[in-house]
Amino acid sequence: MDELLDRYVPLFDGPADWSDVLRRAKRHRRPRWRLLAIVVTVVAAFVVAPALAVLLRDRSVHLPSGADGSNIVVVMQPRTGRLLLEAAPWKGHDGFCYLVLRVRAGCVPRKARGTTVLTPPLFGWTFDPRVRSGTATTLGGKPVQLTVQHFGGRIDATLFLVRDWPPRLLREVVLRDAQGRVVARVRH
Amino acid sequence: MLDQLETLYRSRLPEFRRVAAGIAGDRELGCDAVQEAFASAVRKRRTFRGSGTLEAWVWRIVVNAARDARRRRPALAEPHEPSSNGHAPLLPLDLLTERQREIVFLHYYADLDYAAIAEALAISPGTVGATLNAARETLRAALEEVH
Repeated sequence: MDELLDRYVPLFDGPADWSDVLRRAKRHRRPRWRLLAIVVTVVAAFVVAPALAVLLRDRSVHLPSGADGSNIVVVMQPRTGRLLLEAAPWKGHDGFCYLVLRVRAGCVPRKARGTTVLTPPLFGWTFDPRVRSGTATTLGGKPVQLTVQHFGGRIDATLFLVRDWPPRLLREVVLRDAQGRVVARVRH
Repeated sequence: MLDQLETLYRSRLPEFRRVAAGIAGDRELGCDAVQEAFASAVRKRRTFRGSGTLEAWVWRIVVNAARDARRRRPALAEPHEPSSNGHAPLLPLDLLTERQREIVFLHYYADLDYAAIAEALAISPGTVGATLNAARETLRAALEEVH
């Protein structure tokens, strides 16, 4: 057994190098200033991040103050739960207020059958009760399905938007009724 | 504490290097692992609580460093593969498990007793004895087959 073990790892002798040990020990020691920098960064992240979040949130777009906050309706992206659209009756007016993708907001008075398209992002509304679906056409000629949602009650309007990202340049919006007939066509 | 570590290093360096070389599977890697292990022990010396012996604590660090060195070792063709005619390998230590080899090295190369090995590997002395016996049996059987 001893012979076997001697053959496996023969005894060898080399000079001891304690100074190398000390050098390695010092080399691996993390400098204190780096530790300090990490601590400062972590503390700053905890202290600054919430304030930053408040500041950024305050700068984002909200539903206008004229909106009736007690009657807000929303459209969410089914898979992600992302808020696409908020709408509410316009207090003291015959119309509604909207907030789209947290970037565009406003209030709209009711018209007989008007259709309005805003872009970008592509968003619009119509007071035509026949509208059930819609498509937009990109500059390249590709059709893009619109998310169309009718809100009853005091809003009583149909809102539509394109929820793809990044927003594309569109040249035409076509709104159709339940039978697929074209109800409105808006060109840019 | 630093003096004690240096004394241990200077007095037992050949054993440390031999065990580490056996575990790492390479002499150079073993030597390097010992240097790294002692450097680590120097850095962490204040964490040694004195619940066991300083030597056992250092052995544990050396064994871990040698294991790491073995894992980091570039994949080379095994020098002691079984021959094509199905006979046993030339060096039957390759038949042992990693744990068995470590215990064999610590016992034979470093001349540690069961209690010291148990402390170094954080296992019970009984396990050390049982593992060593199993390793001996494996080696004996392999040697008989060869001869």
